[in-house]
Amino acid sequence: MKFADFISVKAIKPELASKDKEAVIRELAGSLVASGDIMEDSAESIIKAILKREELGSTGIGRGIAVPHTKHPSVEKLVGTVGVSTEGVDFNSLDGESVHLFFLLVSPPDRPGDHLRALENISRQLRDDMFCKFLKQSKSVEDIKTLLDEADNNQFGS
Amino acid sequence: MGEESIIRKVVVPNRQGLHARPANMFVKVALQYQSQVEIARDGLTVSGKSILDVMTLAAEQGTELTIIVTGPDAETAANALVEVVRRFVEEDEEEGE
Amino acid sequence: MRVLQGIAVSPGVAIAKAMVVDDQQPRVTRRFISRANVDAELKRLSGAMDLVAEQIQASQDEVAVELGDQYGAIFSAHLQMVRDEKLNESLIDSIRYRHYTAEYAVSQSFARYIQFFERVPNPFLRERAGDFRDIEQRLLNVLFGADAKKKLAAKQPSIVLANDLTPSEMANLDRVNIRGIVTEVGGPGSHSAIVAEALELPAVVGVGANLRDIQTDTMLIIDGHQGRVIVSPDEETIARYEKEVEQQRQTKIRLRGLRDLPAITTDGETITLMANIEFPHEADACIERGASGVGLYRTEFLYLGQDCEPTEEDHYQVYAKVIRDMQGSPIVIRTLDLGADKIFGEDHPPEQNPFLGLRSIRLSLRNTDQFRRQLRAILRASVLGDVSVMFPLVSTLHELRQAKMLLSDLMEDLEEQSIAFNRDLKVGIMVEVPSSVVMLDRFAREIDFISIGTNDLVQYTLAVDRNNPDVAALYNSCDPAVLRLIQMAADSAQKAKIDVTLCGQMGGNPVYTMLLIGMGLRSLSVTPSAIPEIKQICRTVSTEKCRELAARVRDMDNAWEIKRLLREHLRQLFPDEA
Repeated sequence: MKFADFISVKAIKPELASKDKEAVIRELAGSLVASGDIMEDSAESIIKAILKREELGSTGIGRGIAVPHTKHPSVEKLVGTVGVSTEGVDFNSLDGESVHLFFLLVSPPDRPGDHLRALENISRQLRDDMFCKFLKQSKSVEDIKTLLDEADNNQFGS
Repeated sequence: MGEESIIRKVVVPNRQGLHARPANMFVKVALQYQSQVEIARDGLTVSGKSILDVMTLAAEQGTELTIIVTGPDAETAANALVEVVRRFVEEDEEEGE
Repeated sequence: MRVLQGIAVSPGVAIAKAMVVDDQQPRVTRRFISRANVDAELKRLSGAMDLVAEQIQASQDEVAVELGDQYGAIFSAHLQMVRDEKLNESLIDSIRYRHYTAEYAVSQSFARYIQFFERVPNPFLRERAGDFRDIEQRLLNVLFGADAKKKLAAKQPSIVLANDLTPSEMANLDRVNIRGIVTEVGGPGSHSAIVAEALELPAVVGVGANLRDIQTDTMLIIDGHQGRVIVSPDEETIARYEKEVEQQRQTKIRLRGLRDLPAITTDGETITLMANIEFPHEADACIERGASGVGLYRTEFLYLGQDCEPTEEDHYQVYAKVIRDMQGSPIVIRTLDLGADKIFGEDHPPEQNPFLGLRSIRLSLRNTDQFRRQLRAILRASVLGDVSVMFPLVSTLHELRQAKMLLSDLMEDLEEQSIAFNRDLKVGIMVEVPSSVVMLDRFAREIDFISIGTNDLVQYTLAVDRNNPDVAALYNSCDPAVLRLIQMAADSAQKAKIDVTLCGQMGGNPVYTMLLIGMGLRSLSVTPSAIPEIKQICRTVSTEKCRELAARVRDMDNAWEIKRLLREHLRQLFPDEA
């Protein structure tokens, strides 16, 4: 599964304002509402579900990256967005480091495979140091989109 | 009548070949479909719904088999049968830790 | 006295009288029925078919319960054969149009298949003729009114002699009086071999036609180590083997006496001895040998013993069985530890270097559907007892985090579906790659325990494939580099206050026990049969002595010298046995 299949370009946030875990999740979910990818009246329940999933184990998978995600019946296909925080956010990551790069995903409950394949793709790409570094340095939606496209075209290793 | 057959080719993947247990798996799936199922190797064609017939193909690892399915649910049946053959796995491998 | 050589497939020695089973086959003659009796004969046939189907089902259940589902699976294929439409058509036609008796119809129809398989060049497929003989025999027994169950009952201690034992004969084997199995045909992959080993009966197969000259009640010795059958042995030979049988028995009794005693050193340190198992039925062997838990439950059999990928329920059932059988002792389930080639067969392109390729946790993280099924089953089973999950071949923190994330996702699913699981399921890694030893201080923050897998650790540290004869001599568990890594891993785990167990073959080898205790290890997981011996060593040594030994070893730089020193210490411990 490619980034282009699920990342909503209109919802990408190159400069996150939030400073804590819940606020980041709210900001990214809000951005998906603004882009029309999730409905406004489902937003609160999606945010709650993502926070609940975080309680079971942080999705901060180390190296400054987190992949908050959940399943929700209000979406018909996997949707997601990317956010970058220059300052970093305490996300209770597994390695204790603060998080700079967020991928927030919402998938339909009847298609759990999709969200796993997206996670798998993200994990694979994020193994590449250059890709991570460039993403964290991105300052505009256009920068991020270009990087994701390049990753989709296998321009990064592994 | 006059229906077209779906023809698929598969290669027996597991080292021990198409012996009783894999043949059983194959026939169990074939029996779930209405379509007529035939399976052939080197010009010998037998019923894919008979475990005895399937076993007499004596297909070893690497043998190419042709699955011929004719009937109303031929497409799904053919896909399922190809999948079954692909999933035959080794029974005689060592483990390492 | 005559010595016949066959293939050793299951170890052990037995001395007993022969019981020949092949001479009991009913003879089928060419007989016909009158037209008026056709319907009655057809009814007799269908009655026999139903009864045989029932018998096969019963065998399948029985064998599955005793030895595990993978041994029962063959009967599922037999059931399919009995219900085969082609076979039934041919039998019915023979009775209806040719007026054969049901017996003759059966023997004619099966003869075609049996002859066909006897001529197949592939030896494994050729052995399938046995499947047909088995079903034919069951049908004829029912038609003749013979009792199939009675067949292998022995009135006295006996060694069974047969052309080949069919799966149903193996299932009906008398467990009390049968002491060993000898067959004319068959190889290491035959049912006789597999089942004999599971039942811990000495067995020799493939002895050849010479076997036919032996009459029931002839005195025999079966030597399952050497693959020998000694016919009418002289007194001297009997005496020699009796001594061996007696030694086997003594050792067994002595070691069994240790079962309920703790593995505690002379200065009062407790060593936890757990068992490595693969098949669910091995839980019995763990209990019998006094294992304090299962330190390594391998799950590869679920993939290798079956013809297709296991379902979540397949996983759950075998986990639940072991948890139940282990009566509350801790169980560590290791997720799939195989190479991609074993799972995908030809769909996976051959790898240049499979041991450095897509395998174990790497494969699971790639093949997430399969991994999810296994983890869900482990989570569901986690409420049934003291269960932990362990990931094999973890080489980077990222892999561990991905696996843990998947685990948390599944917890969420289960929570939504109101399915019970243990939220505090302990998570550990197998330490078998040098990179994980080096990074263990970081790993330790994110896991509850480690288990040191020495087999792979040796291979990956020394870059040696021990199956390659040209370099196998370099494979040495005593290599100082390997010992240093084990020491590092044990120290890091203790510093981080997480549990550490050693589960490789090294733990089950008495030569290393003192050294491992001296290096600070207090938990070993070994093959069940090794537990009594290792326990005996633990009970004979003091940790102080072990530490002294470990200190001496630490100053040495040559694997062979280290091994010599360890052997010497073991000999000093048990002077009578070397």
